[in-house]
Amino acid sequence: MQTDPPPSALSPGADDTATLLQLCAGGDRTAFRALYDRWGARLHGIALRITQQTTLAADATHDAFLQVWREAHRFDPARGSAEAFLVSLARYRALDIVRRRAREVQGYEGDDRADETPDALTQLLGNAEGAALHRCLATLDAERRRLMVLAFVDGLSHSELAEKLRVPLGTVKSWIRRSLLSLRACLAANVELPQ
Amino acid sequence: MSETPDLDLLAAEYVLGTLDGDEAAEAARLLATDTAFAAAVRGWEQRLAPLAAVVPPVPPPPGLWDRIAASTTAPTATPAPALTEAITATASAASASTMSASITSAASRSATTVGSATTATSAATSPAAAMTRPTTAVVVPLALRRRLRIWQASTAAALAIAASLAAFIVLRSPPPLDVAVLTPRTGEGPVLLATAEPNGALSVRPNGTIAVPNDRDLELWALAAGETRPRSLGVLPAAGGRLVVASLAPGTQLMVSLEPRGGSPTGQPTGPVLYAGQLAAVD
Repeated sequence: MQTDPPPSALSPGADDTATLLQLCAGGDRTAFRALYDRWGARLHGIALRITQQTTLAADATHDAFLQVWREAHRFDPARGSAEAFLVSLARYRALDIVRRRAREVQGYEGDDRADETPDALTQLLGNAEGAALHRCLATLDAERRRLMVLAFVDGLSHSELAEKLRVPLGTVKSWIRRSLLSLRACLAANVELPQ
Repeated sequence: MSETPDLDLLAAEYVLGTLDGDEAAEAARLLATDTAFAAAVRGWEQRLAPLAAVVPPVPPPPGLWDRIAASTTAPTATPAPALTEAITATASAASASTMSASITSAASRSATTVGSATTATSAATSPAAAMTRPTTAVVVPLALRRRLRIWQASTAAALAIAASLAAFIVLRSPPPLDVAVLTPRTGEGPVLLATAEPNGALSVRPNGTIAVPNDRDLELWALAAGETRPRSLGVLPAAGGRLVVASLAPGTQLMVSLEPRGGSPTGQPTGPVLYAGQLAAVD
């Protein structure tokens, strides 16, 4: 039976994302709304970039927040950042939607949007984790870096990347693996990952 | 693939989102079964998430919060959700009744195959009553559950009933329903009938008694076609239940696993999968 929602334990200062997630885990709807206000546009932007359609992006954002609400108790600040938790959910839900559609329409229609400029990558410099990733991405050559960004940000699969870049599938896979390995090594040397 | 599989690399590609078909399915399987792989995925989520900062924020369309709020108002949307008999929210009330009506109508015909026509027909009036209720916190009594109890039948008979139910729903246009019959992995015991409405209301009912150890719970999972990890839909009472979830596409695999009390601690199935079945569109 649904009862009245419990009063919010959200204090005026307690607005950091990890705290909001923990309050959501306790069923605090005020905190959930605050989380939406704070993260809605970021997650929707991520979903929109992957799905390329407002309606699909709204579905992905909806599904992501639903999952946030349902699984907030699974967020453990000792094991990772709140940002990674939220960003991952939004990406997975958006990827689910485009992969399903990709099957329906058979094939990805690549667009010719301008590639990520080095300028855009400076957005990573806002925090320590981002700065480390930025530094490590800079060690990749330009094409590999572009590949990583296309994969992560635009949500292209191995075969979609091969099609877009007009290189054999095996080549794309091997480029990505080598890039991931060098990122892993570089990041391990640079930062202590929370575990 | 001829090269030695490197699980950490597979986890990285999973997080990056580049895996196609078989590889994605393999990653989903590992994520559900292998805690080391799940930890590797978490590690890569941490490493790569900052890259999302290159995407400019875009305000969600107006009204999205209302949609999210409505989807999470159901009692099942609590952190360790249990499926319950109740369905809340104004928007859900009418369509829930409609669904109940379709099921009832289908049941009244198919029930003749098991000789319960009288019961099914007499229950046919209850959905109409539900529809005229005030729209706040409507509790749908779900006569379906009682009828399913009547249908205590062998697995084979239950499958036949589910099939005829599906066939009848096909003949009724709105609302289109997706149905799945979740069969026991062991081949014995009751089956579960799942019906999903386009608005995300999902009802899961066993046609018999499922024995669950005291220190365990059943948990319901959805794995959409093309999706790479099962999503928890909540703890499922042994008697079945009804909940509101994000809408499920036809082709979605539904699974019920045996988990520690309160549900899987990891966000992925940790115990054996007891029941599984695929949603099929019947509209």
